[in-house]
Amino acid sequence: MNTRIALLGQPNSGKSTVYNALTGSRQHVGNWPGKTVEKNDGYYTYKGTRYTVTDLPGSYGLSGNSDEEIITADFIKSGQADLVCILVDASQLERSMYMVAEYAALDKPAMLLLNMMDVAKSQKKEIDHKLLEKRLGIPVLPFTAAESKGYEELKSLLAAELENPHMLLSHPETDQTTSVLEQSKAKYRWISEMLDGVTHTATPEYKLSKFDRVATSPIRGKLLCFGVVLLAFLVAMIVMSPFMAIGQMIPAVLNAPIANLLNGWHVHPWLVSVFSMMLPNVLYFCISMASFVFGVNLVFGFLEEIGFLARAAYQFDGVLSKLGLQGKAICPMLMGFGCTIGGTCGTRVMDNWGQRMLAMAVVWAVPCGAIWGVIPVVASMFFGPGGTLLVCVLILCYMLLMMVIVSKVFGRKLSPAESRSGMIMELPPYHKAHWKHILKEAFLKAWDIFKRALGTVTLVSLVFYIFSFSTSGNIQSSLLYRVGTAIEPVTRFFGLGWQTFMAFLSSAFAKEAVLGVLNAAFVGGSNLLEATFFAKSATPDNAALAASMVQTISKPEALAFLFACTFNVPCVMALSTTYRESHSLKWTARVALFYIGGALLLSCIVYHIAALFL
Amino acid sequence: MKLTDTKADQHGVIRKIDGDAHFMNRVTAIGITEGTEFQTVRNDKKMPVLVYLRETLIAVNRADAERIEVEAV
Repeated sequence: MNTRIALLGQPNSGKSTVYNALTGSRQHVGNWPGKTVEKNDGYYTYKGTRYTVTDLPGSYGLSGNSDEEIITADFIKSGQADLVCILVDASQLERSMYMVAEYAALDKPAMLLLNMMDVAKSQKKEIDHKLLEKRLGIPVLPFTAAESKGYEELKSLLAAELENPHMLLSHPETDQTTSVLEQSKAKYRWISEMLDGVTHTATPEYKLSKFDRVATSPIRGKLLCFGVVLLAFLVAMIVMSPFMAIGQMIPAVLNAPIANLLNGWHVHPWLVSVFSMMLPNVLYFCISMASFVFGVNLVFGFLEEIGFLARAAYQFDGVLSKLGLQGKAICPMLMGFGCTIGGTCGTRVMDNWGQRMLAMAVVWAVPCGAIWGVIPVVASMFFGPGGTLLVCVLILCYMLLMMVIVSKVFGRKLSPAESRSGMIMELPPYHKAHWKHILKEAFLKAWDIFKRALGTVTLVSLVFYIFSFSTSGNIQSSLLYRVGTAIEPVTRFFGLGWQTFMAFLSSAFAKEAVLGVLNAAFVGGSNLLEATFFAKSATPDNAALAASMVQTISKPEALAFLFACTFNVPCVMALSTTYRESHSLKWTARVALFYIGGALLLSCIVYHIAALFL
Repeated sequence: MKLTDTKADQHGVIRKIDGDAHFMNRVTAIGITEGTEFQTVRNDKKMPVLVYLRETLIAVNRADAERIEVEAV
């Protein structure tokens, strides 16, 4: 029995919405063999039969030589799908039918989903889908992917077509020996024949809406972008706060009962602290990371869906082209201010692997939400309110410089001038946001990170645990202290004492841990472990920390430390996500080493320069 | 003239596209091909050229737009 369906469509055709609505959470993310392109498979059950759905990589055509197009064309030709459901945008029918014209030559069963009928209707475009169906010879279903009501009809049609598939009746008369341009002309000619009488394509004078006139203007548009993104982060923070609050309560709530229970069983104290202290805090870190991912994906999913991000890409294409990137990279970069993990995943919008890896490397330079929670706290201890603002501005300026440096260092290899593809993208009309879909997407992403983080964070926590374990409970007897003080003569040169160097190391674990480690190292008394893992839940006493830090280290040292922490490698989860997204251990390691080295060098430079002035 | 030489609200027809097969594929797949009528919507310095064609608003990277020859109508 035939049960294998594939979804094919151009970007913005709503393909992923259909895929997610059909399969829900029954999805598997993998790799196309030998390629760095993601493979999404899922399944759903309809009337007792299980159907698999493959979400083919989004591309504008099938005859190009990008990885996406080669994979898609090979997949279809190999007959691994029993039915291909092609999605087109009903509001831009002529243009999006190009995919159908490309598909026709492959001579395989298909059906057509006329998506975005709501948009087409709002633009008063009428489509005679029955006539189109007759011409093409395959079923044509008018559809609005973001509304849940059409899916029963879609599933029943898919089932019927799998039983009794249809092929396209005709295909464009293309001559493979002619140029790409000639072939594409033939394809558009075929499309005009198919659409003759189906819809009218008289192109009226296009007028930018009032809002778009601002959004596309060179200066006001950029200001608008920053304003909108700032507002978006504010909303994200409000949405995230209840999750964060619940996460924070976990260690405090679980610690005592678990400890009591295990002590009652006379378990070794070491194990008691692992289960009562470390694991609940691993849970808290994972919830914190997942909430960041959720918040960032929620607001950016919204901005993407309403069509605003395309305007942002338009705004920044000129600047980003100079970095070897293109306009679309602005979205992951902005996401990076909230969460590097989110930003890393956000680079999926990039067209080719090299530019994508480069975008990830650049996103790492953006200080994430968690480190923005550390910078003002530490800066205000040393530099007062005005100075703190200045430090933040300096960090933002260096961020820009770091982006340039990263793109210069890695750009030549990852995005050589001859293989750069500039941005050619559509600015879709503004859509209504479909919240249910956005929420679900954000939740799935957060859930995915949460599951993966549990393993990674537990492992790294254990390593950290062993290093900072001390029999006396005093920090001075831990391995970390011994190593830290032993190499202090070296780290001093970089402007880092053993205390700040430890905090610097912990910043590569989770930025959330930095304040806790500082507290343990400077204030002492409390166990380093406890301080690290209770970073937020125990709210370290900032006044005591400030008093001790100001006494122990100088202003240049503090400034050097802030820069080192901020521009260190991002957290372990961001690293592991980069590896997962790029599928390249070599490049992930290269960029990570560059960042660690760069952070130490930066610390050194900042320390020695600041020492001249402060 | 080149696409980058057009002014806002000017109408024209694409005449010639210059580039390698990869570029051709990307441009034609999105709907820009010889003979396509278009309207320039915005053309600001250091910004992509914003054109309207085949019912779609498309931003074309400035360097890429240099490779597209057009004729005003």
